[in-house]
Order: sequence, then structure tokens, then C-alpha cells
Amino acid sequence: MDSNPSHQPIDWKTLTEIIEAHRTRKWSLIPMLQAVQEAIGYIPPEAIEPIADALNMQPAEVQGVVTFYAGFSLKPKGKCVLKVCRGTACHVKGSRSILRHVKNELDLEEGETSADYQFTLETVACLGACFLAPTMMVNRDYFGKLNPTKVTSVLGQYRKNREDD
Amino acid sequence: MESIVLNINGQKVSCPPGASIYEAAEKNGIRIPTLCYHPELKPHGACRMCLVEDEASGRLMASCVTPAAQGMSVLTHTPRIINHRRNIVRLMMAEHPESCIVCNKGNRCELRQIAANLGVGEYGLYPMPNPIPFEQLNPFITRDLTKCILCGKCIRADHELVVTGAIDYNHRGFKSRPATLYERPLEDSICTFCGTCVSICPTGALGTKNTRYAGTPEIEMDSICGFCGAGCSLTMGVAGRTIVDVNPSRRKVSVNGATLCMRGHFANDFLNSPDRLTLPMVRNTDPSAKEMHITAEWDEAISLVASRLSDIRRTHGPQSLAFIGSSKCSNEENYLFQKIAREIFATPHVMSAGWEGGQRLLAKLDDKTLGACRVSPLADLEKSEVILVVNADPESSVPVAGYHIKRAARNGARLIVIDAVQTDLARRAALWIKPNPGASTAAVLQALASLMVTDNHYHQGFVEQFCSNFKPFKASLSIIRPDQAAAQSGVPLKSLKTAVDLINGKKTAFVMGANLLDSPDGEQTLDAILNLCFLTGGIGLKSSGLYVLAPENNLAGALDMGTAPDLLPGLVKISGDGKRGIDPGAFIEAAEAGKIKAVYIMGENLLRSLPQQDRVAAALKKLEFVVVQDIVRNRTSELAHVILPGAAVYEKHGSFTNMEGRIQTFAPVAPPPGKARPDWEILSQIIRAMGYPEQYQSIEKIRQEIRHAVPMYQRLGNHYQEWVRNTEAGSPFSGDAARFSFFPVSALPPSASDPDYPLLAQIRPVRYHLGSGTRTSRSGRVQAYGKKGEIELGPETIRSIGVNGSGRVRVISRFGAIEREFKENLKLPEGLALIPMALNRNDALNLADLMGNSDAKALGWTVSRVRIEKI
Repeated sequence: MDSNPSHQPIDWKTLTEIIEAHRTRKWSLIPMLQAVQEAIGYIPPEAIEPIADALNMQPAEVQGVVTFYAGFSLKPKGKCVLKVCRGTACHVKGSRSILRHVKNELDLEEGETSADYQFTLETVACLGACFLAPTMMVNRDYFGKLNPTKVTSVLGQYRKNREDD
Repeated sequence: MESIVLNINGQKVSCPPGASIYEAAEKNGIRIPTLCYHPELKPHGACRMCLVEDEASGRLMASCVTPAAQGMSVLTHTPRIINHRRNIVRLMMAEHPESCIVCNKGNRCELRQIAANLGVGEYGLYPMPNPIPFEQLNPFITRDLTKCILCGKCIRADHELVVTGAIDYNHRGFKSRPATLYERPLEDSICTFCGTCVSICPTGALGTKNTRYAGTPEIEMDSICGFCGAGCSLTMGVAGRTIVDVNPSRRKVSVNGATLCMRGHFANDFLNSPDRLTLPMVRNTDPSAKEMHITAEWDEAISLVASRLSDIRRTHGPQSLAFIGSSKCSNEENYLFQKIAREIFATPHVMSAGWEGGQRLLAKLDDKTLGACRVSPLADLEKSEVILVVNADPESSVPVAGYHIKRAARNGARLIVIDAVQTDLARRAALWIKPNPGASTAAVLQALASLMVTDNHYHQGFVEQFCSNFKPFKASLSIIRPDQAAAQSGVPLKSLKTAVDLINGKKTAFVMGANLLDSPDGEQTLDAILNLCFLTGGIGLKSSGLYVLAPENNLAGALDMGTAPDLLPGLVKISGDGKRGIDPGAFIEAAEAGKIKAVYIMGENLLRSLPQQDRVAAALKKLEFVVVQDIVRNRTSELAHVILPGAAVYEKHGSFTNMEGRIQTFAPVAPPPGKARPDWEILSQIIRAMGYPEQYQSIEKIRQEIRHAVPMYQRLGNHYQEWVRNTEAGSPFSGDAARFSFFPVSALPPSASDPDYPLLAQIRPVRYHLGSGTRTSRSGRVQAYGKKGEIELGPETIRSIGVNGSGRVRVISRFGAIEREFKENLKLPEGLALIPMALNRNDALNLADLMGNSDAKALGWTVSRVRIEKI
């Protein structure tokens, strides 16, 4: 895989397939955006106009929906999206330190993506897994009852060189 | 349905079912504060100011989005509600910058008014300003989104009223703001600068950009926009003697409601142009002097006009005089003007340049429908099920008509557009029929009619009851082969069949551009539209369903008043040789031949609105005497022997008839500049100077005479807005004799081509200029907008010229040549060039044939065959 996906050309073939599958279907904006987000990892800004066109909407409206939902991103995200829970239960259990530790480990601030597009760091209000507090998610996997050592080991699993092995 | 009775503040009130509590209260004079409610917009419930309390449950609800229910009992001003409202306002203020002292919205700010009414002074919260850069690079709209309170009115107006879709909410929560696509500045978005959002914004977040200090309005007065044929109601703010601010009026009934277009909203600053004529002037008799004209007293100028015109008439006969009126001047003025020409000077040569700009089409349409086309309210478009738009681009010619069409389409009407060019409407159409450039529109429409008749897809009841000549028409359709017509015009037969399916059994409205006749098959195109209209049974007494996009404010009115070569007031036809006048093209020919010796031009800049300007200038220079009565100094007035400074719309009394047949009267908002006078006063002084009794001292005297002379206008001036009346005798729905007659189709002229001039150039109006642009080019804002009006060319055409993506080219026709920048339009088919009008002294018209309209085979004033060379 290219080390810098942001410089990769947009996968128009996949995009076009998704757009065509939803063309002129009612209420299909959000399903279509979800499909694009899933397949490409983000909603390329260049895709807004073709998407709007396919649904007879105005591009500004589509952009409004994309920017409204946290689940959609207009920027490419890293391969591993970290969601550190900052909900009340996790807070009580020290999620602030967990977050600080992740930031230090990855050298990233909230909302940032690493230069090699391996990691994106986000925080969420609650993951709904309070019994595991403090928790975080990496892509679709939960990690609970975190402590700094565990965080370091989890991050280690996702670091690039490890994965390439 | 039964009306709903509810109890508001202990008062029993009733409202129609479906009304919200807010509407019920408002209807009964109970005022509830609100920031996001607007009667023309769908309720939104964003601001929460309109909270009311349900007496039974104690629940608080936003009254604008809660339907009134039978027997409910609500309270609107309890201490609890007021406390809530105060808190909401305090929160808004905490986010709002404290810049009221320099905010242009001043006391018109609704947030400030509501805060004052609720007694909120210090809001006592931690200020949380939302830093967003101030945007003011375009010359029309300033955006200071730090002042935005997220009422969503601008977004909703953009989506629901203007239907452009340039902005929408972006992000959410505290970061949420209205934004364009990719958060670009407005000038780089699809924003059309209609300014509707500016007028509807409750705070100073959106404002009008002024090119120089203008002042804050002291009073506001209503008027009618003097630009296009929509006839929008305006409210103008006046500071001192100057109009500084224009907004849509708050009148309950108007064409435009809460909308306006770029011209109406922003281009009226031409009124304060230094080019305004303020003093009467006469030609300097000293040839060595530097100045061509010297100022004169009114009496001197008027008596000079009267005596010179009388002399010329005595020497050369009445036929040597011509009178060119104006579709920009009022009904009263045009009526007096043609009366002066026809009765005092006894010349038949009365015309206006609007004759070629659409009056010719209106007159033909009126004739062919026996007057049934005159009343066509734009609001009825929203009741149509199908709208067929033929070669019309309202976005640039009559934007407000475009809003009506787009709203109808948004609400479910099926839009069919026939145009070689992808207009804004074509993009939104259910079906875009795209004939090849130069292909016959009539052929496409005839093919549609043929398909409808063959498959019995027409309104048989209407045809049998109200139409004659159907049999010969049906027989004549045998020459039409829809498949051939489709192939020749480059339209897939399938699209035509889709169109028939869409139209079949549906109430269909027809919208046509004012230049419909500007092609060799123009008349047949009109006939074909009318045949389709009869086949669908769309024509009615209250609303004809036929819309001509009149590019000028009083195009229809000037025609009704008889400022036309062969029509007297009331569209009475003049027959007989020598009694009929000549049209503007023929006038120039007659001036060249020395047959016309003098001309009186009122409100028309011929050197900008006629093709072949050098030829027009040479012809005018040959005349012995030229009178120009106008509001701005222009190239035509430079050639005048006498210049009479008239008043702009907003500086006088009068009435206009818009494209719908709505007659609207207006009164002065500001005084005319300097010694300028209302045009009707000038004309009435000419009448006096000619030795006739003074009978037109007031506008009412003229109106009285019009009401008497023109039955269609019998209600003129009764109310600020009246409708043209279909007279009983002319009604096609009364009696058996008068019926709509089908027009049998005839073979179309073969498509001509010219190897020396292989491209077809369409000379098209632009959104930021009106017509030839005499007035709009003097608007400080339009000047600052600095659009060059690039020629648009398709990629194949660009390649064939041998130029790269942009640059300058020379466009040459048989009649003239111009040089312009060009830009690529990927959607434009090969062989077509779009040339914007009105720019660069409207030189684009130099490509057209001045005599284009006298010859049925020629192309008219808005189309020309050209070749394009690189420079």
C-alpha cells in the first residue's frame, strides 16, 4: 500500500459504482454517503457534486449533511481511527490521562491524522461500554479497562511495521 | 372544513385547519416575538422565541411549528415564558459581537428590537464570540457571520423561494453556519446575488455593500422596479434626496413576494450616477466651442422642440417625423407620446425599440389568441402540472419568473426545456430536449403535436368545445414525420415520446423567450406552441398559461398604449397604406434615405439597443433635428439637438403593465435630480407649446383619458395593482363564433447555412445587466463587479479556431465584428457561440442584422451567423 494515501488519486471507479447504485433513489443520500465513507475512508470533496447531481440535490445541501454528521469526513483518515471515550464514566476512571498518553505515543492532537495516514485520533462523548471504562476503539474493535501500558501495547499492534510483518 | 377554535390568553380565536398557533395568534392581532418565522417560508422552529405555554399541560412549545388544535388553550406572555425568551436572547447576545454602534442594520435589527422589548440590556453571561472573517469582496453582499443567529431564513429563502441552492447549514452546534459549497466566498459560488437573503436576514449578518457612503434610510416608500417585465414591488429607503437602499416590498400581494434579483436589489444605484441628466440642453451654435451642448431653460428647450418639429413638418410633411417611445416609460407617458405624434404632428411613425425586443411577439400572440393571452399570473405556474419552456432563459432575462418556474418544479411540476444551451432551468428539468444549434424549434414542436394527435393524447373536450380548424390542422400534420424531425434536429425520438407522456392529460403552461421570432421559423414556432396549448386545453380565461418573458418593465404597457408602428391604443390595428408606421429598422433606412428628417426619442438609447451602431449613428447624424428625452447621458443624447432630462421610475407618478398583465401604479420615492422633470410633464408642456389647451396637468387626467380610450385599462389606477381586462367582446370563451383556431402546419424553411460564417452566435442577456445596459452599466456595483462578458464556446469549436483554453478572439459577421475574451463551456455543442449582451457598449449587437426583422428568412437581432478568428 502506498505510504501516503492522500496523494493517491480518488478511486473514481468505486465512487461511480456507488453513485450509480443510488441514483435518483429517494432518501438515499445518507446510505450513499455511508457507502462512500466505508469504501474510500472519507468523502472526497470532489465527490459532492456528482453525488448531488445523482440525487437532484444541490451540492451545498449534500455538504451540509456531510459536515453535520461526525461519521462522515471530508478529509482522508488514517488506516486506524482511534476513538478515545471521554464520557463521564471513563472520565472518572481517568480517560484524560489515557488520552494524554495516546497523544504522546502518537504525537497527534485530537482530530489529527498522522503524516503516514496510519492513525487518526478522535474523541467521542460515550462509546456505550461504560462497564469497561476507560475505553477506546480502534476502527471497530473495543479496548477496555485501559491503563498506559495496555494503551502502548494496543497501539503497538496497529503500528505500521508490525502490520507489514 | 370546519375552522379551529382555540383560546389564546383567555381570548377565543378561530383559524383555518392546518394553521399554526403562531398564525392563529397573528391573524387575531396577538403578537408573539419571533426571529425565524417568515410567512412565505415553511415553519422552521429554530429560534424558540415564539414559545407558548399549553394551559392544560404546562408544556412549552414553539408556536410556529405547533398546529392549532380544536379547543386548546395557550398562554403567550406568562412570566415563565418571558423568562425563557429572555434567556434565549441572552444566549444569542453572548455569541453576538458587541458592534451595534457600527452595524448598518441599526434599529432595523430584529434581535435588538426583541431584546429591547424583553428588557434585556446586560446579558450577564460569559461572551463567546464566534470568530469568522468578514466577507466583503463582492460588490453586492457583505457577510459577517459572527452576527448570524442561525434562524435559517437565508438558507430557506435560497431553497424555497429562489431555488438556487447556493448555501446550506454547514457543521453543527456552535460551529454551525450557513456556507456555500467548499465554503468559498459568494462570488465563487453559484450565488446569483439576488439579495433575497440580505432583505430577510433579521440581524446585520448579511448586508448590502455600498460602493461609497450612502447614509441610513430615513423613510421607506414603495415603488415598482423599472428593470425587467416582472414588475416587482420594491421598498426603497431614502436618505435626504437619495435612494440608498432597496428591498422587496412588504405588500401582501406582489409578483415577487420576498424575492428580488441582482438588478432590482443592487443595480438601482445607477440613479445616483454622475451621468444623470439634470438640466435641459441644446446644441451649441458656436461650432468652435469645445462643449457640444449648452444648458438651457426649460421654456427655451420646449419651445425649440415645438418650433423645429413644426417647421420640419411644414417643409417636409408629417411623414418626415418619427417618434420613438419607450417600453421603459410609463403607460401614461407612452399614451401621451403616441398622441402627440399621431394627433398633433399627424405622423404614423410611432415605435419603440421594444418592438423588436418582444412587442412584435406580444402583438402576434394577442392577435392569434384573440386577446386571450393577456392575463397570465406567474403564481399560476405553481398550479401547473407541466411547464414547457421554449428557448427561454429567465435566469438572465426575467429572474423572478424563473423563481416561479423553479418553485413549481420543486413542488412537483414536471419541467420540460427545449433549448440548445444548458440553461439553469435545463439543469433542473425533468426532460431537456436539446436540438442541434440552428435546428428548427418549430420542427420539434410540430413533431410533438403530431405524436399527440396520432396517439389521441390531447384534450378532446377542449378541442371540440373551443377550437376551430382542427380538421385542416390534423390533415396538415400528415407532412410531419416525427422520426425524421427528431433525426434532423438531433433530438432522440424517445425524448419526444417522453415529452408527450409527460404532457398527456396534464395542465400545461408554456414559457417562451421574447426573441422567439428571431429565427427563420419564428412564426411557425409560435403557431406550434399555440397548437400545443390548444391540444392540452391549457388556455383559460383567468390565466392563459402562455408566458412571454418580457425583458423590459413596460413592454406590454407601451404596446397597449399604441407605441407601435401598426397599433393604436388598445391594440387596435391600423390598416391601409400610409397609415401604418415603420419599425425601428425601417426608420434607420428611411433616415439614411433622407425620408425622415427629425426624430423625437423618449427613453431609448438607440446607439446601444439597435444593431450596427455605426450605421445607426450615421443615420441619426443625417437628421435635421433630434430630440432626446432621457435620464442618463448616453451616446444617443450626444447626437441630440435638444436634450430633455426626464425622471426615473422612482422619481415620478405612473403605471406599468408587467408580463402577467398586472397594471401597477407608482408614486415618487425621491425627487428627480437637478431640474429634471417627470416625462409626462415634459410631454404635457410640449402639447401646450404646440398651442393646445393645457389638459394634462396631472397624471390623473391622463389616466382618465386612457380608461376611456382603452377598454382593457378601464380599471387603471383604481388600486395600486389592477389587471388588464379581457373585454367581453374579445373573449374567446363567449358565444360560439369566437374560438381558438388551430394553425395548420406548413413546410419549414430549409435550414440555411453560410460557409463563410459557419457558427451560430446567440446574443444573450446577462443577469447583471438589463437589456442593452444603458442604466445598469452606470450602476457603481455592477461596474465594480467587473464582469467582462466572455464569449462562451464549446470545446470542439475552440479546437477548430485553433486557440487554447482562454484568450481573446475576433468575432466577425456580415454586419460587423467585435473582439472579446472567451471561455470554454464544456456543455456547449459544436457550432454555437454565446455572446453576452450589454457589455462594452453592447457591441455584441453589431454582429446582428439591423434589417433582420424585415425579412422573414433573416435571423433577427439576437442571432447571427459568425466566424471566429484568433487574434
